[in-house]
Amino acid sequence: MENAIEVTNVAFAYTSSLVVQEVSFCVETGAVTAIIGPNGSGKTTLLKLLLGILKPQKGTISVFGKQPKEARNFIGYVPQKFSFDRTFPLTVWEFLKFSHFECPSQKIEEYLNFFGMAQAKTALVGSLSGGQLQRVLLVRAMIHDPKILYLDEPSAGIDVGGEQTFYELVDRLHKQYKNTIVMVSHELDVVFHFATQVICLNKKLLCEGAPRDVLTPELLEQIFGMGATLYHHASLR
Amino acid sequence: MEFLTLAFMQRALLAGIAIGLILPFLGVFVSMRRMAFFGDGIAHASLAGIALGIVTGANPFWGALAVGIAFGIGVYALEHKTNLSSDVVIGVLFTSGLALGVVLMSFQHGYQPDLITFLFGNILAISQTDMLVIAGLAAVIFSVLFWYARHFTMIAFDRETAWTSGMNTELLNLLFYILLSVTIVLGVKLLGIILVSALLIIPAAIGKLLAPSFIGLVTLSIIAGEFAIGIGLLISYYLDIPSGSTIILTGSGMLILAVLGRSIVRKIL
Repeated sequence: MENAIEVTNVAFAYTSSLVVQEVSFCVETGAVTAIIGPNGSGKTTLLKLLLGILKPQKGTISVFGKQPKEARNFIGYVPQKFSFDRTFPLTVWEFLKFSHFECPSQKIEEYLNFFGMAQAKTALVGSLSGGQLQRVLLVRAMIHDPKILYLDEPSAGIDVGGEQTFYELVDRLHKQYKNTIVMVSHELDVVFHFATQVICLNKKLLCEGAPRDVLTPELLEQIFGMGATLYHHASLR
Repeated sequence: MEFLTLAFMQRALLAGIAIGLILPFLGVFVSMRRMAFFGDGIAHASLAGIALGIVTGANPFWGALAVGIAFGIGVYALEHKTNLSSDVVIGVLFTSGLALGVVLMSFQHGYQPDLITFLFGNILAISQTDMLVIAGLAAVIFSVLFWYARHFTMIAFDRETAWTSGMNTELLNLLFYILLSVTIVLGVKLLGIILVSALLIIPAAIGKLLAPSFIGLVTLSIIAGEFAIGIGLLISYYLDIPSGSTIILTGSGMLILAVLGRSIVRKIL
């Protein structure tokens, strides 16, 4: 199968010390890839490199054969933190239409329905709960039919119920639209059950492969320290 | 309606309507990005251009415009090329521009009516040429703002996600700074260095208190700006008091009414 993303010997430093060191991997088209690692391991930096927000100081990144910056039309992105002025009167509909003006209204309606947010289109973005906001951000990421969906710790700041709904939606989304999904996650159990490929990072690439093959207790201990193990996530019980 | 038959009032009203379209429109984004200080900075820094015009015998307005645009580009460049925060950059350029203006003015002796006009504004002294320049530039700025409103909104909301949506956030940011600089300088001619940023902030604040959506916010802000200018001019004419200050006080009065109105409606509902 064709590779959606090819990362070759990529290195990046914000100041003098490298945050991402000589990382190489490929993501197959249609795969669900999870990037895992402890805090400060360079996960979000790697995602920003894949998005083209940051430029690697060494190595190359190819997204469907293009530089990440040139591939922005192919991607959808749900950020970890969406910090905005919640007091501002911007409706959900305006937010989605302003993001992708060329997108037909019918398509926006379709995705709002898919994510169970059809009733919220006249609501103000600032009035949404954490879970609702994540779903709106998912709609926003999907309405231009991206080939790749990037999720940066998508369930951070959502309660357990909201998390469950969120992962169910992402699962349904993948089954229906067959996008390539790349997500940064801390939740190993979700990664284990949901991802088809896992990339373990701690500045360097520690492992790459199917979760069942690579997420061994020894490796988890090496990445996260003593006592790290898989637990049953509420959404997967 | 006798005042409408006077040529200077007609010019003032037309120039006021033009400024009332663009200052509140830009004020919405300024308020979203919490950059009210930028407006004050441009206005005060433009004193250097005004002084340069007065000293060299050129039109102070064009000097102010050139310095205003240079200020906008300077803030953008320093924000991007250094790790200095926006308010530090603006603070440095703002006070430097003001200081340069004062030094330049020290070479010119005697009473300077032009300087007083630019400090406190004089909408009633707008000439035919001023009016045409203001209306022309305002039409261009309004068109650009209308076209890029959604881009400016998304950038103000979250720059990273705007970039991933395919927007050229750097170039749009520079465009925003230039539009803001030119608009502030146009406003300085009418309302003065000291008062101009009020018409940037007050209408957007009224809009934010009352609007149910972003389109409502822009519409209400512009209506509030136009009302403040129209009613303020009318009051200043009949009471024979300074027009720029009356416009701002009218806007402040409208803001107080909006706050009270909103509180009453919330209590009833």
